[in-house]
Amino acid sequence: MNSMNDIINDLKNKFNPINVDVVNERQFAIDVENEELHTILAYLKAQGWRQLTLLTCIDWIKENKFQLVYIIYNWENPITINVRTKIERDNPKFRTIVSIYPGAEFYERDVHEFFGVEFEGNERSTKPLFLELWDDIPPLRKDFDPLAYSKKKFDVRDYKVDFIPKEGEAE
Amino acid sequence: MKRELKLFLGPNHPGMHGNFSVHLYVDGDIVEKARPLPGMLHRGFEKLMERRLWMNNLALIPRICVPEPDINEMVYAMGIETLAKIEVPERAHWIRMLILEMARVAIHMMSFGGIGGPTGLYTGPNWAISDRDLILDIFEAITGARIYHMYIVPGGVRKDLPDGIEKKIEKLMDDIERRLPEYEDLILRNPVMEKRLKAAAPLSAEVCWELGVTGIGLRSTTGEPYDIRKVEPYARYDQVEFDVPVHKGVSYAYDRLSMKFEEIKQSIRIIRQVLDKMPKEGPIRAKISRGSALRWRVPKGQVYSHVESSRGDYGYFIVSDGENKPYRIAVRGASYPQGLLGIEKYLPGTRLEDVAIWLDTMGVCSPEIDR
Amino acid sequence: MALNENEKINEIDVNELDCRDTKTFWEKFGNIFRSKSLWMLHYCTGCGAIELPPTMTSRFDMERFGMGPMATPRQADVLLITGYLSVKTLRRVIYTYEQMQTPKYVVGFGSCTLNGGIYYDSYAVISRLDYYIPVDLYIAGCMPRPEAVMNGFRTLLDMINKGEAKGWKRYLKYNDWYKRNQIRALGEVYVKDEFHE
Repeated sequence: MNSMNDIINDLKNKFNPINVDVVNERQFAIDVENEELHTILAYLKAQGWRQLTLLTCIDWIKENKFQLVYIIYNWENPITINVRTKIERDNPKFRTIVSIYPGAEFYERDVHEFFGVEFEGNERSTKPLFLELWDDIPPLRKDFDPLAYSKKKFDVRDYKVDFIPKEGEAE
Repeated sequence: MKRELKLFLGPNHPGMHGNFSVHLYVDGDIVEKARPLPGMLHRGFEKLMERRLWMNNLALIPRICVPEPDINEMVYAMGIETLAKIEVPERAHWIRMLILEMARVAIHMMSFGGIGGPTGLYTGPNWAISDRDLILDIFEAITGARIYHMYIVPGGVRKDLPDGIEKKIEKLMDDIERRLPEYEDLILRNPVMEKRLKAAAPLSAEVCWELGVTGIGLRSTTGEPYDIRKVEPYARYDQVEFDVPVHKGVSYAYDRLSMKFEEIKQSIRIIRQVLDKMPKEGPIRAKISRGSALRWRVPKGQVYSHVESSRGDYGYFIVSDGENKPYRIAVRGASYPQGLLGIEKYLPGTRLEDVAIWLDTMGVCSPEIDR
Repeated sequence: MALNENEKINEIDVNELDCRDTKTFWEKFGNIFRSKSLWMLHYCTGCGAIELPPTMTSRFDMERFGMGPMATPRQADVLLITGYLSVKTLRRVIYTYEQMQTPKYVVGFGSCTLNGGIYYDSYAVISRLDYYIPVDLYIAGCMPRPEAVMNGFRTLLDMINKGEAKGWKRYLKYNDWYKRNQIRALGEVYVKDEFHE
């Protein structure tokens, strides 16, 4: 089970992935249902994908969904797998993976801070990490405008010449 | 009787690396509890990159990791090249390797000499940082900037090497190599440093796997060459010969420091081979778009591209929805696992004076944690 | 303090203020000696800090101009803001600045302290440093080279000699204005410890 196709076939036989995207010869992405994510991660960890490289989130505001991406890496057989799942954008909640990858604890705090996704089972996931006394919606959501926030909170220096190109001017 | 004392280590502390804070409870001089306090360098890069054009982001990305900016340019370029299926010219690959390895020598010099800071051996930083500065001079000649180069761009490199730079690099590498035995005498064979570092900051393989520590930390415990340059060669690392220094078993600060020293030697070896094998002429940048670079759109897709930084697996997760701006870019800082969870779980038990050594040799770099 | 969202910070013209009215002979005398040696607080607040080790160590060696690094704020004269300041750092910087003993000077380093620089639209980085603490001197550039840093320091020494670096007097005189701006950007200027659940 060394080549990437064998791994993909194996995953397709054992689980019911929605979709598999091959990115390049050393990386593929697999979309799974919410319920299956933990079993697939545990399975892959036993197969040698021992390192959780990154846990992050994408805000698909048009679909009203958050996509959680778990990137795992295998050092013996250098293939990166991006395991992805979509959750609802309103009142986002998901179960933690700390029991599978203990290193995920701070990544989950990170995702909670910047997207507002709550991870059940990780009791500290709602504690602020990078931001202090944050008073707006989570900043990496697509409907948050950093320029307006910056202008409101930190007054800009006034110049007679406008150095900042207007929206669309760079086009 | 136990008397606990609450102590703030950082952000304004000479032993801290960058603007980062660790809050401690100490009993005597043994750390009882530790909590990292990141975020002092948080600039919201991931949001800012979504607001800028693909090309404009080139100015932003080197600033994510301050001591080693070139890896940022490399992962960004590699990610976009995967998405847009751009073939990079042969010569550009070699120039990129040259830049990346010189950057690796520079950062390893800084952190190898910088161990003098937490241990009180101030000759180390004085020598190492001024020798590193000579590498920055080379960077300035090639790219026009000392720290933030913005040199590796999607499709190749920004401009060709200036005339006669190869000679200068060769001479500088000879100079640095000639200096290395002196560094070894000063730091690695110094009896005080040996006593101080040989039992400090232990790290075991189980901890590495649990946290997700990569780079020197992982290689110093497992004894396997887990280096992305070897495991998954990018650029032309498969065409040069180099060894990956490894160490098996529980590693201490001294082991990791001497591995850094070995990596300097290996990088110099790679640079010599690059200068030797590099095609002397040829294009240095592939054409990425037909029109203006500002109107350039990257095809839809998601990719995680990563390289071996001086602290381990460093990568970007790039999402494009086919627009002229990135949809989302997530940064995986190489020191994220040991810098946050590692501090909280494994710093307790060390002595207070070893905390700075722990942070130094684990390679905790705060700008890439905070982004 | 309740703040109106659209309210702009009303600027005080720093050049119009004359804080020199207390300048006695002994102050002038002291200024001459102060300008001979300065201790710079070694607080790496932003990415410009990467150019400070080369400035301090043997290649550029700023000690020959009478500047040295100092670890504690209470014994330092100059607070160097190296680059952008996130709001989280600004809280610590204000703490640090208020701990320093007078006379004290602030140098804003890099273009991010002037107007936000490349981070003008960031939600976590302040745009303009002199609203929050008084800045005596700016060194422009991203990032300034070691030569520029030393040149800036030479200028600062001259300013101290002539009695022009009087930001700390301005901070005392217009303390309300500074405090109000700080509250507006930060909410509260109070540093908690991480164990505080």
